[in-house]
Amino acid sequence: MARKILIVDDEPALQSMVGEFLKQAGYETQAAMSCRDAAEAFRTGTPDAVLLDVMLPDGDGFSLLAKLRQMRDVPVLFLSARDEDEARLRGLGLGADDYITKPFLPQELLLRLQAVLRRVYQEPSGAAKLGDAEIDWGKGTVRRAGEETALTAKEFALLKKLWDARGNIVTVDALCSALWDGPLVGYENTLMVHIRRLREKIEPSPSKPQFLLTVRGLGYRLEREDTR
Amino acid sequence: MKLRSAVKGVMLLTVSSLLIAAVALVGMFAFAYYNSSGGRDWTAPMETLSETLVQSEEGYSFYGESLLEPDSWMMLINDEGRVVWSYQKPYDVPGQYSISDVASFTRWYLNDYPVHCWVREDGLLVRGSPKGSIWKYDITMQTSVLMQMPLWFLGFFLLALGGVLGLSYFAVRRWFRRSQQMRDAARSNWINGVSHDIRTPLSVVMGYAAQLEAAPSLPPEKKRQAAAIRVQSEVIRDLVNDLNLTMRLDSEMEALRKETLCPEAFLRQTAADFLNGGMAEGFPFEIDLPETPLPQIEADPFLLRRAVNNLLTNCVRHNAPGCAIRLGANAQRKQLLLWVEGGDAGKTVQEQSPRTPEPDGGAAHGTGLRLVAQIAAAHGGKAMFYGGTPYRAELCLPLKE
Repeated sequence: MARKILIVDDEPALQSMVGEFLKQAGYETQAAMSCRDAAEAFRTGTPDAVLLDVMLPDGDGFSLLAKLRQMRDVPVLFLSARDEDEARLRGLGLGADDYITKPFLPQELLLRLQAVLRRVYQEPSGAAKLGDAEIDWGKGTVRRAGEETALTAKEFALLKKLWDARGNIVTVDALCSALWDGPLVGYENTLMVHIRRLREKIEPSPSKPQFLLTVRGLGYRLEREDTR
Repeated sequence: MKLRSAVKGVMLLTVSSLLIAAVALVGMFAFAYYNSSGGRDWTAPMETLSETLVQSEEGYSFYGESLLEPDSWMMLINDEGRVVWSYQKPYDVPGQYSISDVASFTRWYLNDYPVHCWVREDGLLVRGSPKGSIWKYDITMQTSVLMQMPLWFLGFFLLALGGVLGLSYFAVRRWFRRSQQMRDAARSNWINGVSHDIRTPLSVVMGYAAQLEAAPSLPPEKKRQAAAIRVQSEVIRDLVNDLNLTMRLDSEMEALRKETLCPEAFLRQTAADFLNGGMAEGFPFEIDLPETPLPQIEADPFLLRRAVNNLLTNCVRHNAPGCAIRLGANAQRKQLLLWVEGGDAGKTVQEQSPRTPEPDGGAAHGTGLRLVAQIAAAHGGKAMFYGGTPYRAELCLPLKE
């Protein structure tokens, strides 16, 4: 079922641009142009996420966020023309899931919304596909050519981190933080060993990887092609 | 505050103060002289009065009543100290005087009457004025001190001048600061307002342009036009962002939120975010970091990321696809040298033309590089921009102590 997004912004042109784009991307949308409309739409429409402007005609988005959170805990992304650090930190400090400064590209908004939705609503524990490899997140296994291989805890964490950011470079530092909760120093070789073993499980040809690619000097990237 | 304006202000205040002091002093002296016995002829000289008192066989005859002020009185004391003649002498003025009495009143007061004396052959002529009508003061000074007076005056003058200069400097500085703050606040509000108002319409322009660019039904020519709109909108977006931050850094409104950073991790993350943004598609990217860990720095990660991003964006905008972008860092003495280079992918650095610092500090490249220089300066470092091929920009930042 398509997720429903409530867009709260007092600018009709921006409302329709974001609404059209999200509909094309497969989302249902609801629109509100004031705090009052937003609270009403939130109560009746039960959206899965809210895109919230900071400055609204009858109040500010920060207060509205607190009010919405009292009703129901859903992910909220600020879409704001205010780029000062104070505003950004205040929004995130109040518990917003992201703070996007206008102007933004629709694709950027979509990716950040998807990342938040993925994090909050969790992926279904069913299969994800990487070429001919099928990943079962629930069981923590990879099935290729009818053969099922179990992922170790570190390999699972590594693959999950890369999958969540698929298409994007994830630095070696970020991977080490996810795996060992610490800096890179001392873990470079261990990380490479885990990457090599993971490739052996998901790549048709581990020495010529198609999906888990090395970005020299920076980190790794899981390719988006053939993903779920 | 600009030094020239400050110096001008201080000079203006000093000259004004000195002029006021000089006019006041000259006025006071002139007033005192005019009202003293050396200036206005406000009493008849004792010598003249003495000439109007004539001794004859019948006694004394006085012709100078018209020369005397209404409440004044006169008396003549002979060598024995006895009053032998008087005119309008008050009842509380004695008729007999000893030497010590005479010594004590001649230059001062007699029973609080200010008196003037004149020595005659037949005694001492005394003229008395009403009580409280004349102020008398006797100045006695050692000659050596009198000779030092010019030096003392000069010393006091210099002290006063220093005081006036110091006070005027602080007053002018405060005044300049306040007016500067008011100007900064007005400018900041205006730029903030414009920046805020331009962001929402720009989102709509960028959003629709990006959607048209991706629409499968649109002919390639129209898609190219949509892409141009999107790219130029991004240029405006960056300009607005840079202007806003430049203004805040300029007027010291942006407080640094310094954190201890590991340069390698910071640069890798910044480069990854930049590449993930898709702006550098078609540009080979290289990162050059030493094998040994770099020392840590203390910096505002948001601002430093902005600076590195601006340098990387600048490389992409001023080079054709296919040119390599290189990002690197190394430690030199007590500084971290962070550099971004954009040039021919096929050439090594040694093969490329010699670097020359840009005399305008990169100003010709717009607000982007100016902002980089400002961010470097805010961290106690500096930015250097080199023209030629490859284009190179360096940031020198102090290492964490």
